Amino acid sequence: MSHQENARGPKPKRLTSSRIGIYAFLVIAAAFFLLPFYVMVVTSLKGMPEILKGNIFALPEKPTFEPWVIAWAKACTGVNCDGIRVGVINSFKIMIPSTFVSILLGAINGYALSFWRPKGGNVIFAILLLGAFIPYQVYLYPLVRMLSQVGLYNTLPGIIAVHTIFGLPVMTLLFRNYYVAVPIDLFKAARVDGGGFWTIFFRLMIPMSGPILVVAAILQVTGIWNDFLFGLIFAGRDNLPMTVELNNIVNTTTGTKAYDVNMAATILTAMVPLIVYFVSGRWFVRGIAAGAVKG
Amino acid sequence: MKSLAGRRVAGIAGIVLAAAAAGPASAAKKAEVIHWWTSGGEHAAVMQFEKAFDAQGGKWVDAAVAGGGGDAARTDGINRIIGGNPPTAMQFNTGKQFDELVSNGLLRNLDPLAAKYGWKKVINPVVLSAVTRNGHMYAVPVNIHSNTWLWYSNEALKKAGVEPPKTWDDLFTDMDALKKQGLIPLAQSGDAWTQVLTFFNVLVGEGGKDLYLKVIKDRDVAAVKSPEFLKVAETFGKLRNYVDNGMQGRQWNQAIALVINNKAGFNFMGDWAKGEITHDGKVPGKDVGCIAGLGHHVYWIGGDVFVFPKVKSKAEQSAQDLLAKVMLEPKVQVAFNDKKGSVPVRTDVSTAGMDACAQQGIALLQKGDYVPSSDILISPDVTGSITDLVASFFTDKSQTPQQFADKFASIIGG
Amino acid sequence: MKPLRLRNLTPQVALIPTWAIVIFAYIGTIVWTIRISFTNSGILPRYDFVGWKQYDRLFHSQRWSISVENLAIFGVLFIVGCLVLGFLLAVFLDQRIKGESWFRTIFLYPYAMSFIVTGLVWAWIMNPTLGIQRAVENWGWTSFTFNWLSRGDRAIYLLVIAGVWQAAGLVMAILLAGLRGVDEDIWKAARVDGIPAWRVYLSIVIPMLSSMFVTAIVLLAIAVVKLYDLVVAMTGGGPGISTEVPAKFVIDYLFNRQNIALATAAASVMFVAVLVVLGPWLYSQYFRKGRGAQ
Repeated sequence: MSHQENARGPKPKRLTSSRIGIYAFLVIAAAFFLLPFYVMVVTSLKGMPEILKGNIFALPEKPTFEPWVIAWAKACTGVNCDGIRVGVINSFKIMIPSTFVSILLGAINGYALSFWRPKGGNVIFAILLLGAFIPYQVYLYPLVRMLSQVGLYNTLPGIIAVHTIFGLPVMTLLFRNYYVAVPIDLFKAARVDGGGFWTIFFRLMIPMSGPILVVAAILQVTGIWNDFLFGLIFAGRDNLPMTVELNNIVNTTTGTKAYDVNMAATILTAMVPLIVYFVSGRWFVRGIAAGAVKG
Repeated sequence: MKSLAGRRVAGIAGIVLAAAAAGPASAAKKAEVIHWWTSGGEHAAVMQFEKAFDAQGGKWVDAAVAGGGGDAARTDGINRIIGGNPPTAMQFNTGKQFDELVSNGLLRNLDPLAAKYGWKKVINPVVLSAVTRNGHMYAVPVNIHSNTWLWYSNEALKKAGVEPPKTWDDLFTDMDALKKQGLIPLAQSGDAWTQVLTFFNVLVGEGGKDLYLKVIKDRDVAAVKSPEFLKVAETFGKLRNYVDNGMQGRQWNQAIALVINNKAGFNFMGDWAKGEITHDGKVPGKDVGCIAGLGHHVYWIGGDVFVFPKVKSKAEQSAQDLLAKVMLEPKVQVAFNDKKGSVPVRTDVSTAGMDACAQQGIALLQKGDYVPSSDILISPDVTGSITDLVASFFTDKSQTPQQFADKFASIIGG
Repeated sequence: MKPLRLRNLTPQVALIPTWAIVIFAYIGTIVWTIRISFTNSGILPRYDFVGWKQYDRLFHSQRWSISVENLAIFGVLFIVGCLVLGFLLAVFLDQRIKGESWFRTIFLYPYAMSFIVTGLVWAWIMNPTLGIQRAVENWGWTSFTFNWLSRGDRAIYLLVIAGVWQAAGLVMAILLAGLRGVDEDIWKAARVDGIPAWRVYLSIVIPMLSSMFVTAIVLLAIAVVKLYDLVVAMTGGGPGISTEVPAKFVIDYLFNRQNIALATAAASVMFVAVLVVLGPWLYSQYFRKGRGAQ
């Protein structure tokens, strides 16, 4: 997935009408992609009286940060009026351990499968691979029952376990494909030097896994942050992540609809993955391509 | 009324607290209660239980779960009961929702308590039979709610120059006039359950008590194929022409708010709408008019109950005993239902202080003009199928009343 | 390779957590789900056997057929829409564009956002009373109507628009990487022969990128089958049941309608459908070629 700095299309000929057409298309497309973000931002700065005048595209006449303050600290979901900040903390509490555990397990799997080729390795790999594609609905009910049997249903460890379970296929695949490309001789040399399973993993493999660790982290952080279904079903009312909290705030049946607050809360929810996206730049694209389950 | 009730409860609390302090120190009876009363008015109501329970030596641990008209709370509670970690008590709607928990032996039989406190003599018979399975009582009913109410804005009607309707034909005449004035004739929410509520208003009000019972209770296919039912379907279909564009994405409280603010003429909603009306400083029955079961004037009996899962420890059982007792105490019943906008389940408490709309309902109850709610008569599964059909018909004008009746027959027959 | 397969137990031990997950969370749950789908279970699992009863009911359910139909409409339009828009964006970006990285960033950022966020934003833009319709009315075009969100026959297309907005950038990113790998000589040769650029794209470049297209289609297809969040946030399945999807059918019957047998039957149908479509592809992709499969 190497990027070359220069575009390779047909050579440009000065400023012809076709060049203008190309730019026009790109600018219009950019407008389409930016429009929702623009609407979110202006709506969140308007205040309800202005919104009810009914021009969602207009800039705010009197910009106010009040909706943001309410969204952060005062918006209600049911009787709780603590804003979306509760969800932020929960999302971090879910996201950090889930990311860590799933990457660690994925790396161990990838390493074991590609270098040690243990018995049944292919079976594990095949099932995980298939697991990545199967709709989650197939697993939900038995998992709810299993987790409630062991007292983990609606708890933080429970939701972390669920994210780990369903993050495992892609993580395993990612690391397996990465390690498959590592020269086998390197591994053989380490074996000759007497390195055991864990020594080679921590001393040799992890240090050279920098790029794939970054990619895996980007995938998991955005994936887990953006999750709605698992948070809704497994997290329990004390651990609801931000996406679920957001949907609750928007659909709460107390008071009138505050579109300004809703949009501010929406932007706040999108903030973490957007920051990851803008900071990681090309790594994000690599992450997508790697997560494409394409070896 | 409210402050009086409050003071009374506080007074009792003082006496009981003093008694508890004087007696031997007993550990508070801790009760974790799952419910879905999370809106402003509902919260105020549930606080009445909490206060009374704590005052008598209990310790209420609130486990409110918001969302989905109780779906989220029920899922949470059921999974905990099955998982062996049951709450002390949990809420259901009066009806069949907890049938399976009973048949699997997961709930406490409340007969001993009922005998001790004489509940079976004082609880409304429809409600009592709805919490009774095989002759045993398995839940404590706490209120009677009615879904069959038509709310209207007096000011909007005045503006359109029309009178409150007496018949369904009147309603359509009124709504035509409202339309001409540029007002929203019928404020309707986009949520499917509110459209089902509107449908039952038509079925009970236009079709009458007998038709409703034949169709929903006896599941009589011939009744669904009758001209009477077709008339109901036609009336319901006609309502589709009087809703506005903003229906989709609007919730029930926003729909009633349109009536409260005189932007819309009518809204079908349960009596919990009163919470929203009084919250806005208006008086139900005066600023916002109410009609119980337009047409045949039939009252619909639904409501909420609490079940008590089987628990192991003696301490928890005695907490359940106390909570059940408190919930049905006459004073607590009045205080709770006053805030909730519902009617007490006890027939022996005074309802004189209740608002004009509640009086209408109580009069119908006394005359015997009532039907059990659909939750009491049919399972959540069948209700779900009806919900799909009703919502799909109501939002798609290309479906004819005849098609609606045919599909309805296949659900009822199946 | 052989000598390396020592009688070393550590790799097996290291894989124990994964084995446990595979056995319990993947295989166990699927078997359990399928078993329940042949029972009469309500809220609680019951282990009677009623044959195909739930499946029979499922296939006669109007809501299920609407759900499947919606999934097909959404799936086809969403995938085609993303591919066409993503391909055009990639090609146009590959023309030595000034500010290319800006454009790239703009086209891809929606993909970082959740479907919940996407759904809520688009629902707001499409709001029939305060959204686009009202804005255009205010600009003076009073007869303008755009109330698809409240029209059962149109709402599904709004989901497509929101979905394409979210995921077209993904296709753009994948294909752009592919275009950068196209040999410069092809363009030189084409220019010498006077072949128009669009012909080169159509008959040479697209076939060269076929594996990239497959990757993109697979990624998009996964999103289609799992479609749930977007519907919940944008339409809630409405108006009526016009935008219901299979994933939502399962969740509703599982948790709200107290009929886990019907829910698991629906889930099993989804499972089998995915298996039939994807099984052969996965096999050819990963197992025919042995270890070096890439």
